[in-house]
Amino acid sequence: MDMFEFLSPLFVLLTIGGTLVGIIFGAIPGMTATMAVAVCLPVTYSLGLENGLALLLGLYVGGISGGLVPAILLGIPGTPSSITTTLDGYPMAKQGHGEKALRIGIIASLVGGLISLVILDLFAPALADFAIRFSYVEKFLIILFALSVMAALSSDLLLGIFSGFLGIFISLIGTYDVTKGGNGEWRLIPPGTEYWLESGFSLLPVLIGLFGLAAILDEAQTGALPGMSQKDIKIGQSERFSLRIFKGQTVNLIRSSCIGTFVGILPGVGGSAASILSYSNAKTFSKNPENFGKGEPAGIMASEAGNNGLTGGALVPLLSLGIPGDSATALLIGAFTLQGVQVGPLFIANNPVTWDAMIIAMLIANLAMFVLMYFAIRYFAMVVTVPKHILFPVILMMCVIGAYTINYGIMFDVWTLLIFGIFGWMMSKLRLEVAPFIIGFILGPSAEVYFVKTLESFGDVSIFFTKSPIAVVLWLLIVGSIGGSIWLHRSASKHRDA
Amino acid sequence: MKLTRRTILAAVSTAALLAQPLMATAQDLPRNIRMVIGSTSTGGDTYQNSAIVADALSEKLGVNIKVDAVGAVAGFKALARDKRGTTIMMFHDFAYLAELYGGKGFVNPFENYIVGATVATNPGNAFLVPKNSPYQTMTDILDAAANGEKVRVAIQPGGVSELGFSAMKNAANVNKPGSGENIVAVNTGSQSDKNQAMWDGLADVINGSIQSNEQFTQLPEDDQKAMRFVWITASPETLNGAPEAGMGKMTRDDMLKYAAPETHVPLNASEDFTFDKEFFFIYNKDMDPAIIDKIDTALSEIYADGAIQDRQTEAFFIPNFRPSAQAREHLIEKRTTYGDVISEISG
Repeated sequence: MDMFEFLSPLFVLLTIGGTLVGIIFGAIPGMTATMAVAVCLPVTYSLGLENGLALLLGLYVGGISGGLVPAILLGIPGTPSSITTTLDGYPMAKQGHGEKALRIGIIASLVGGLISLVILDLFAPALADFAIRFSYVEKFLIILFALSVMAALSSDLLLGIFSGFLGIFISLIGTYDVTKGGNGEWRLIPPGTEYWLESGFSLLPVLIGLFGLAAILDEAQTGALPGMSQKDIKIGQSERFSLRIFKGQTVNLIRSSCIGTFVGILPGVGGSAASILSYSNAKTFSKNPENFGKGEPAGIMASEAGNNGLTGGALVPLLSLGIPGDSATALLIGAFTLQGVQVGPLFIANNPVTWDAMIIAMLIANLAMFVLMYFAIRYFAMVVTVPKHILFPVILMMCVIGAYTINYGIMFDVWTLLIFGIFGWMMSKLRLEVAPFIIGFILGPSAEVYFVKTLESFGDVSIFFTKSPIAVVLWLLIVGSIGGSIWLHRSASKHRDA
Repeated sequence: MKLTRRTILAAVSTAALLAQPLMATAQDLPRNIRMVIGSTSTGGDTYQNSAIVADALSEKLGVNIKVDAVGAVAGFKALARDKRGTTIMMFHDFAYLAELYGGKGFVNPFENYIVGATVATNPGNAFLVPKNSPYQTMTDILDAAANGEKVRVAIQPGGVSELGFSAMKNAANVNKPGSGENIVAVNTGSQSDKNQAMWDGLADVINGSIQSNEQFTQLPEDDQKAMRFVWITASPETLNGAPEAGMGKMTRDDMLKYAAPETHVPLNASEDFTFDKEFFFIYNKDMDPAIIDKIDTALSEIYADGAIQDRQTEAFFIPNFRPSAQAREHLIEKRTTYGDVISEISG
């Protein structure tokens, strides 16, 4: 069939190989799907467009999925979009259910990836038309909605919100970047540090510092315990895995996949918002919201279905408008550019073979991701059996390498890792909360840009409430999310008092 | 000390290891070169052009060249740190425009670095309006400004995008003194933001490019996303070097209709404003001139061979190799011309 003439053994091999390499990148703290795509981009010139895209899409899907491994087993999100996986995955691993948590995450990732792929295939151009209705106002409200999760994730409401605002404040250090619509001026930079802080603190070093290094420092203070034994973590025969754990979670999985896809469709909102919003919604609609953050499987399902849902969604604006939906798809444009192919509103109509190749590659990548990860779980899970005096130096080395390479060799990123590692260790002593802090840090710059641009464009704060019916719906969701969090905190404290 | 065979072998190996960097120095060119670019995008013209040049240069010189999309500020920092020649930079006119516009952290590259050979021109820089806009041409826009109407232009401040805006303001003033005030900037970020500003009705005109926006001009007028070109800033000489088939549905002849002299954006009473976005090398100020000579010689041979021109033209670039000295002279002259336009606007 001419239509599938691209479907050669090389095409399949490149997709599977890309997925495997992507999983490895995602699984190493500090390395991301974006980095995997960036490293392999130059190779695609000699591969041709369809084969090149097969490799890159494999890397993309693998990279996003691989992040769940360190998030669950080590408590370090492999990628920014795995932060919410850490919240329930790591507690499960500590309780000896690491293997089960991994299986849940992998299945949810597959569901998210496949649902978003179906949406991409069937509705891409129509969704792109819908996405352009989201102006600065609606994008700001989506970010605000995601930020409202800070309240839900806090164990102490006030301190949690304070931690979140501190995260936003620190994220704004640096230049108000002209490429994001800023004026190019420096803000909040202490005198004498302009050379280093001109571009602010990079996200990845901050993330692995707060989650990785801080945990190592904490263990160093208390005295590291030996690694768990195979019996402790219930590898293989010790714990049977049943799909019954997904019973009652169909809505959660579909809703989270759709949220992930939807966030991907909106250019500039960012991949991390996908898993944060999915997680927040799962908690809001759960019958047991108090279990979230303590090892609730539904939390892992929401987070992983959400971040893999992003993969198909982010391709919608790329292929329908020529605008990337996230940082990894921004790199994918490079593959088209290197082959001299225009990406824009007529791409799908003008390039049906390439379009089919991308859909098939995404399908193979999702299936390959599932098979590769599901059957390697036993070996992944062995990580926690490694004695900590051996494991921690290895993690530390990976964190340093990841931080150094994230911006192509900037030593200040390693210092950032160390600064935020110490800061993260101190946070627990000061009763500050890491999860709201990092959510504020991730979403702060987008919130700022969309807020300022709204005021610059419309000149009136009331526009946030009156711009469109979409804005009204988003306000209802924000109020619902904040109200739900307050109610949860009150009922939890009543429960404690009783 | 007893000299065993093992001791001698160890001594020879150590000497060989120690001598390796010296051997590399004697070869002038490092074996691994990092080409940083002034953009963080791998989907843009800077990356595409750099990848083509790096590929050809790498083959000719027999060294590895890796293109890193680090962005302007990080790129200049990386270049300033490395005088060994292991880091070189490829960038375009933004390199000196950013300093002319007073961008934080930017310095005059002609004084603080060594500006090297030019390699290509991107003729695609353009301005567009919504397809159903009352402004069909640049004359309509300049007349509207002369009649006191505010015309909002979406740009990314501080570079190539703003230069076109400055030229538009200057042209309005030449058309009717004082009317430049009616051409107002809407500061946005990426191309995506500029497009969105148009679709949201926040901008009447947007900066864009033939490569990014041509497909939107093929959409029917009732589509919210449909656009129309009003101005392509490249000079007609440059556009004449583009492939006859042009890009997408836009032929070279179509492009020429939107460029000077058919589209009139006056620089002064006698000349039209044109701007060709050129790509060139930038080196550390203290880098060994022998390395620059070697790169220049290799580029001369590559361009004499002719294969790179085909690849550049295929990717919609106009090849324009000038050796370092000639390129510097040309770019300094260009900087002076555009510096005058910018100071004219800022008064």
